[in-house]
Amino acid sequence: MSSFSTSRVNTALEDSIPEAGASLESILCTEELRRRPSRPPDYEKENRALVALMSTLADSPSTIFQTLAETILDITQCDSAGLSLLTRDGKKPDICGKRFYWPAIAGMWNPHVGGGTPRNFGPCGDVLDQNRTLLFRHFERRYPYLMPVSPAAAECLLVPFYVAGEAVGTIWAIMHSDRRKFDAEDDRVMASLGKFASSAYQAMSHIEDLKFQVSEREKAEAEVRELARGLEAKIRRLVEANVVGIVMWNLEGAITGANEEFLRTVQYDVEDIASGRVRWTELTPAEWRDRDEWAMTELKTTGIFQTFEKEYFRKDGSRVPVLLGGALFEGDGNDGVAFVLDLTEQKRAQEKLQEAQQSLYATQGELARISRLTTMGELAASIAHEVNQPLTAVTNNANACLRLHADRNLDPDVLRRVLEEIVADGNRASAVIARIRGFIKKSPAEKSKLDVNEVIPEVLALVGPELQKNRVSVECDLKKALPLVLADRVQLQQVLLNLVVNGIEAMTAVTQRPRKLVVQSQIEESGELMVTVRDSGTGLGSEADRVFTPFFTTKTHGMGMGLSISRSLVEGHGGRLWATPNSPHGAVFSFTLPADGSSS
Amino acid sequence: MTGPSVVFVVDDDPSVRSSLKFLLSTVGLQAETFDSADSFLRKELRDVSSCLVLDVRLPGLSGLDFQRELATRNICIPIVFLTGHGDIPMSVRAMKAGAVEFLTKPFRDQDLLDAVRVALDRDRARREQEKEMADLRRRFDSLTAREQEVVSMVVAGMLNKQIAAELGTAESTVKVQRSRAIEKMQAESLADLIKMFQKLQPLSEKAS
Repeated sequence: MSSFSTSRVNTALEDSIPEAGASLESILCTEELRRRPSRPPDYEKENRALVALMSTLADSPSTIFQTLAETILDITQCDSAGLSLLTRDGKKPDICGKRFYWPAIAGMWNPHVGGGTPRNFGPCGDVLDQNRTLLFRHFERRYPYLMPVSPAAAECLLVPFYVAGEAVGTIWAIMHSDRRKFDAEDDRVMASLGKFASSAYQAMSHIEDLKFQVSEREKAEAEVRELARGLEAKIRRLVEANVVGIVMWNLEGAITGANEEFLRTVQYDVEDIASGRVRWTELTPAEWRDRDEWAMTELKTTGIFQTFEKEYFRKDGSRVPVLLGGALFEGDGNDGVAFVLDLTEQKRAQEKLQEAQQSLYATQGELARISRLTTMGELAASIAHEVNQPLTAVTNNANACLRLHADRNLDPDVLRRVLEEIVADGNRASAVIARIRGFIKKSPAEKSKLDVNEVIPEVLALVGPELQKNRVSVECDLKKALPLVLADRVQLQQVLLNLVVNGIEAMTAVTQRPRKLVVQSQIEESGELMVTVRDSGTGLGSEADRVFTPFFTTKTHGMGMGLSISRSLVEGHGGRLWATPNSPHGAVFSFTLPADGSSS
Repeated sequence: MTGPSVVFVVDDDPSVRSSLKFLLSTVGLQAETFDSADSFLRKELRDVSSCLVLDVRLPGLSGLDFQRELATRNICIPIVFLTGHGDIPMSVRAMKAGAVEFLTKPFRDQDLLDAVRVALDRDRARREQEKEMADLRRRFDSLTAREQEVVSMVVAGMLNKQIAAELGTAESTVKVQRSRAIEKMQAESLADLIKMFQKLQPLSEKAS
């Protein structure tokens, strides 16, 4: 049925032409059939035609519709004849279809085979709606999309046919001229041919269905065969690639087959397996038998056992850790397959990792201890230096005075000047002590209004020796008339000290550019104070987000707690602490503190 | 104190500097102060006995680096180190490198003054020795080649007769040359001349 697959109807044309004015009544002249003089019935011709149709249906069902069209043409002596089938997809007849298509046409309209008309607006639709034979006259007056279909139909006799009481199509005869007009005899013959069309349609439909089913089944079977072939190849690839151990077994404990990887894992050879000497039940150490039992139960109920870890004995009696999972084959429910993954390497790596972690913890503990000691030592050195300078000056000056006094040689002016210096140095020493004491004191947060611009120099003074030792230059860019903040001085110092010391340490490895630390204070648009500490060190790289994580450290010493604690302290003051890369080198650590509302 | 001398004080702390200068002045010592090793190195040194009082912890070049730097520049000046927190390895290093003393701040004034005195004495002695050597050398150089030859043989214990035979001249000629050489060397006796030559020995060995 090649005609089923083509459609020549110009649907665009149909859609573009508006509904014409002519009413259905004006194009119908069905009643005239009875009034017109009728020709006598030719039963012999009719019988011959029906027998021919029956034999065609039996011998060559694929041509039955075309034979039917030609029979109509012959019996009614019309110019064109054919049939219309209601369809949904243009191929298969369907009573719920939206279009009629023309699978077979004889006579002048033969070139239009494959065309058709819409269900809801067309002559065939009208016939189905009225459920009777209709005679149309120039139906293109109402259905303009038929205008281009030439030659025009002067008269068209349309007869519905049914399947199980449902109209599924029409047969039709057309006169393109007034050479003759259809009459009651045509009506009778067409009704008779309509019944044949109905049975032919059913037979055809069954044949089509069957063909369709057969082809569908063949297709499915081919797909399954293809799939099976592909799957088999894939499975074979998996088995032969030996990336995982594959073992075939049965519930009695026998191993019926295995790939090389499985043999390597348990260190048996092919002969061991082939001889049936190796049984999976005996490969399993006693303490894993219970777990195996569990897997067996799982297998018997669900057909598979979920992946689990266990051990096998190797041929030499040593043990190998494995991961395995498997399933029963369909069939007798006795044979199955499993994959076996050798975990030796993973276990070894895991153990190494654990060892490394343990030694890391030990080292960290040791480092923490050393770090504390070093800090104490550094602090002591710093105190010694800071305090010893003024003390040295004081003792020198006082001793000098004593000497001059002993020689009765002490000029009062000199004495006054030197005493002033002694007082100044004494004050300086006590200021250092006070600063250090304030710094070391472990008191709970004691918030007071303070000027960040005062705290910054205090901290820088404290790390002076560190800066010097590491050849780090400091630039202070302090915003004047900074609002006061309500903060704990010691904690603020700790945060700043931590950032400054981190900055210094980040630059110790830098030799190609100046080691510069910039400490800045400023006021944010939000009214918050912001302090930034920038260094020209090695920078944070991709670690920027992790530096605040407890125990994260890039240093060879240090616990990685400094920034974490600093952040907590800043947040305890209602501020934020974060890190960004510095350009072109190093890192910027910034923290904010809310300004104390009650101050200027 | 014999002769003029100067103490160079290098410390980054102005109070410490001025107090040291004051303390040194009480025993009649003149001091010049510097805030860093670099500023000292820029200073042109006078030819008077001197020593350095040096803080270990200095900005820029540290005290110990400074000591090494002086040695590479062939500047021989005794150093008294001062430190805020001296540790033993550091002081050992300094002393091995020729430091006179290593004092921990704050120190006893007498310890510092003693150390400075030792340092100045050491420098003075070195200077005198250098001066004497230079003097001897100059005198030796004023001899004619023949006189030097004759004197060397005299010092080696040869008699005038032997020297004359060796040089192929008259004994009287040797006598004249010998007495002229002793005169030029300003030696009071033969023993004195021999002593002079012993001191010159390393020099003349080097020269030959």
